[in-house]
Amino acid sequence: MASGVVIEKTAVELELAALLVQALNLEDRDAAAIDPVAPLFGHDQSGLGLDSIDALEIALAIQQKYGVELRSDDADTKTIFSSLRELCAHVQSRRR
Amino acid sequence: MLTIIDASRMDDVLAWRGSVPVSAAQFLGEAAALAASLPDAAAALNLCEDRYLFMLAFVAIALRGQINLLPPSAAPEMIGRIAAAHPGCYLVGDRTHAEAPCPVLVLPESTKAFPARESPRIAAGATVAIAYTSGSTGAPQAHAKTWGTLVATARLAAARLFDSAVGINVVGTVPSQHMYGLELTMSLALAAGCRSSSARPFFAQDIADALAAVPEPRLLVTTPLHLRACVAASVKFPRVAAIVSATAPLSAQRAAEAEARFDAPVYEIYGCTEAGSLATRRSVLGDIWQLHEGTRLRADADGSVIHAAHLPEPLPLQDRVEAIDEQRFRLLGRGDDLVKVGGKRASLSELTARLLAVPGVEDAIVFLPPVDGDAEQRPAALVVAPRLSRAAILARLAQSLDPVLLPRPLIRLERLPRNELGKLSRATLLAALGSHIER
Repeated sequence: MASGVVIEKTAVELELAALLVQALNLEDRDAAAIDPVAPLFGHDQSGLGLDSIDALEIALAIQQKYGVELRSDDADTKTIFSSLRELCAHVQSRRR
Repeated sequence: MLTIIDASRMDDVLAWRGSVPVSAAQFLGEAAALAASLPDAAAALNLCEDRYLFMLAFVAIALRGQINLLPPSAAPEMIGRIAAAHPGCYLVGDRTHAEAPCPVLVLPESTKAFPARESPRIAAGATVAIAYTSGSTGAPQAHAKTWGTLVATARLAAARLFDSAVGINVVGTVPSQHMYGLELTMSLALAAGCRSSSARPFFAQDIADALAAVPEPRLLVTTPLHLRACVAASVKFPRVAAIVSATAPLSAQRAAEAEARFDAPVYEIYGCTEAGSLATRRSVLGDIWQLHEGTRLRADADGSVIHAAHLPEPLPLQDRVEAIDEQRFRLLGRGDDLVKVGGKRASLSELTARLLAVPGVEDAIVFLPPVDGDAEQRPAALVVAPRLSRAAILARLAQSLDPVLLPRPLIRLERLPRNELGKLSRATLLAALGSHIER
């Protein structure tokens, strides 16, 4: 982590972080150490470095665990996938 | 000279912008108007994501006698390398490309034009596009495409999939800049009577929406990754007549699941950037590939070679195949050095060379660990770089590599497990990988 400080996550954020690590085979990453406000995609050093294949895997895992279908024209996909916190907020708002 | 659209089809629907039909005459009118407004140049990067705008730009560029450059990714270094190889080129896109090293033309949502009365012609031998594969040195390797080859290949593929492809509405999830996407969406529409949807859906729900926006009969052009997402999704899909999948092998089980989910046949296409599509199979019926009409497989001292009238020259296959006869074969595996992730092809030696080229990397190896079941196979890397963080190495690689090709995991070690001859065995690589993942 660039700053060396990880912002604290809520319980639901931690649960989603664990789901991502498991679904994406990020065995070398610790869910607890994922920064909730860092970008999920791209490689600017603070991010998780995910790519488009991961986006499909994430959608699949979220659908299976939370029953929420992601779609590209939802509000703004870029915002939804911008960080763990945004993704978590979107999933929680759509949960039945 | 070949007409772009057959004269009998001028009033037919050629494309769907969302759910709005566009006739061939209207499309050709817009293409001629756009062609007249393009700058003088020998070539143009066509980066449009909207399939209608891509096809419009493609035909306009070809009408001006220019070449469509089709980068495998929009990564700035990729754009830079291709632009540098074509001095004076420009870029056509449907969004801004601030980092492009050449002039950028952002297409408007709509082009005002009168419908064309007749179709313009393009010489069959004219080079209209260059597609790319990654070479062993890291520089993208160019593969020129003539108009005649694109037209012939699309018709051969269409003949394998349908008794008649006329009027089939095509929804694709693959980029138009990829040979498979180019051929199975744009070329099917221009050369085989299909109608191409402008959409480029991604998630399962997007795919359902894009299919619903066009009438039946529908063809879904997609990949094993998207099919897996569709099968697992709780989405209701409109009826499709057929599905084609390419870019990676589809397991018989996943093909059967997809056939059940969509109640439609699933065909796989075998091909490569060098030649476009070459063979098809219906995956649930077995593992034997049927080459296109007029295409022959011959064994050669160095491997298998494809001969076809529509291809400019015989094509040595990079994959290992078992010939059943001249028209049918089984795929045995890829060449040992090849890796393919999400439709992006690279060689392991190239990826290793790129890693070694990062300042501060002292030693490195990229290899393919085994995967469980249907998971996407990703290259893994072991790296000796005492003063670099993992993130810094990946950030540097990301400047020149498509994200899906970035090694995962990338593990930093004090030294690589080289034997006394300096060689790395697969067993020691896997052991090193395993011990670091368990931690």
